[in-house]
Amino acid sequence: MISFKGINPLAAYKALLIGAFGSTYTFSETIVAATPLILIATGLVLVFNMKFWNIGAYGQYIMGAIFSSYFALNVSPSVSPWILLPVMCVASIIGGAIWALIPAFMKLVWEVNEVISTLLLNYIALYILKYLMYGPWRNPTSHGFPLSKMFAANAQLPRIWPHTRVHLGIVFAIIIVFLMYFIIKKTRFGYETRVIGENSTAARYAGISIFRNTMLAMAISGGIAGLAGMAQVSGVIHLLQLEINPNYGYTAIIVAWLASLNPIAVLLVSILLGGIEAGGSQIQMMMHVPYGIVGVIESSILFALLGGEIFKTFRVKFRRRG
Amino acid sequence: MTSQSSIFVTLSSTAVRSGTILLLPTLGEIFAERAGILNLGIEGMMIIGALFGFIAGFVTKNPYIGFVVGMIAGGLSALIHAFVSITLRGNQIVSGLALTIFGLGITNFFGQPWINRKFTIPVKDYAIPGLSKIPYVGQIFFHQDLFVYFSYVLMIAMWFMLFKTKLGVHLRAVGENARASDAMGVNVNRNRYFWTFFGGLLAGGGGAYLTLVYAPFWLDGITAGRGWIALALVIFAMWNPLYAFIGAYLFGGIDALQFQLQASGTTIPSSLLNMQPYLLTLIVVVAATIVLRKRHIGTPRELGEPYDREER
Repeated sequence: MISFKGINPLAAYKALLIGAFGSTYTFSETIVAATPLILIATGLVLVFNMKFWNIGAYGQYIMGAIFSSYFALNVSPSVSPWILLPVMCVASIIGGAIWALIPAFMKLVWEVNEVISTLLLNYIALYILKYLMYGPWRNPTSHGFPLSKMFAANAQLPRIWPHTRVHLGIVFAIIIVFLMYFIIKKTRFGYETRVIGENSTAARYAGISIFRNTMLAMAISGGIAGLAGMAQVSGVIHLLQLEINPNYGYTAIIVAWLASLNPIAVLLVSILLGGIEAGGSQIQMMMHVPYGIVGVIESSILFALLGGEIFKTFRVKFRRRG
Repeated sequence: MTSQSSIFVTLSSTAVRSGTILLLPTLGEIFAERAGILNLGIEGMMIIGALFGFIAGFVTKNPYIGFVVGMIAGGLSALIHAFVSITLRGNQIVSGLALTIFGLGITNFFGQPWINRKFTIPVKDYAIPGLSKIPYVGQIFFHQDLFVYFSYVLMIAMWFMLFKTKLGVHLRAVGENARASDAMGVNVNRNRYFWTFFGGLLAGGGGAYLTLVYAPFWLDGITAGRGWIALALVIFAMWNPLYAFIGAYLFGGIDALQFQLQASGTTIPSSLLNMQPYLLTLIVVVAATIVLRKRHIGTPRELGEPYDREER
């Protein structure tokens, strides 16, 4: 497809690879892109396991960024970061959780299709962000650009790898991955969510509360997506703006699915797709290949995987037929 | 005619045109879902139709050719979803989302040189003799272009086909109970393939109408979530083609109204105005779901479930 543009496709793919894993710096950018993907996808694994189709990580991520930015922009720069950063984390989790509980409630009480409600809430969150960025939260010295003021040092997540943008968020992400693995495999709650996903009627007969479990799982899923939004504004760009890459919310769906809904696999797949994202922006700058190629590559991988599942599930049958 | 009523007429006829962008994909998805295929790729198919329809119209200088090309592009992209979800029996929700991501990506890729290009050939309006003389209604509904008339005819034809013909019985049976219809000699997968393709044709057509007539230029992501609104309108229409226009024109009206308000220089921030269609869709979907539940009108029973002849 790239060859349509008169660019040698092999050279472009090579550049994409180098842009992702070629040098220490590009690899660090891959980690930066992988951080929000790991977080969001880990939250999605939990709800996808119960067959609750939360497509709203995009909006939950935005709400997390907005809620945490409120404190970053309004709390005095003299407050200790040991107080402010935890407050911002909690605020982002609450923001994302609220945005996830609305569709969960609508589904549980009125049976509103969650795919549609979460998607519509994404657009509503996006326009709230737009409103803030063009209105009350715009930096008066930004010359009309939709940017907030720069966060003070006490509202910035520390960078943990010198001379790169890799920040503390990656540590959160890794901790949450293992925590989620433990929750899903070892706790009663995790077990109940899996039963609901397998057979919700059976779960109801077994006395498992679908309402309580779904609300809790969605609050966790949305809360983690919100935290990813906080990590992005506080760890990477240090201000709130329109371009906070909420599309990670959609890419994370691909990650969760490629990882077969396993939190540990999420870690690896995120680095792979983070690499494609980082490499994509690299070849966009160097070879002027539009960034859209990233979406095409990612969706092609996903189609291939979905198609491949049949060979996994129906292997026995094929043999019998042959 | 007073100036106030002429504003109303202008606004309403814009609402019909804006609604047509939604009506076509909604009709297509109604048939696909009736046949048991949930396609979350409407947004992707629409934007593919929007870009390739725009390019074809631009190159041939003919909006009608552009529209047909847009439809075909949408239909072809739907075949990806059909292949993955029917033949390979993959998860339809994820496959549809992948189709949307694919559509947004591929149009960003090929659309770059076309950004901000304008399609300047006006599409002619035709007055329908007799009907166009009805006060208000004639001005609003029967002074439109051929695409709008096409959507009227299509809507009625689809309703007739679905409920009054054998073809329609097969289509509904496939989505309600695939095994039984297979036993009756209806080819389940062929039906599903065809109606998924059909849904893609109409989604592509809706997209092409957007970039050839309603907003005749190309911008990255120009469909702006209309595909998702169409998906919600399917529920609002209770899977009946005849009701599809109510929701479509309602949202066309909001779109036209907020556009008008912005043009008249209101002090309400544009971001809050732009939010209204999504907010209202959400409210309407909740309301429609509650009503449907009371009246026991549900989704097609086997919506989203792949059919495997060999499985028992």
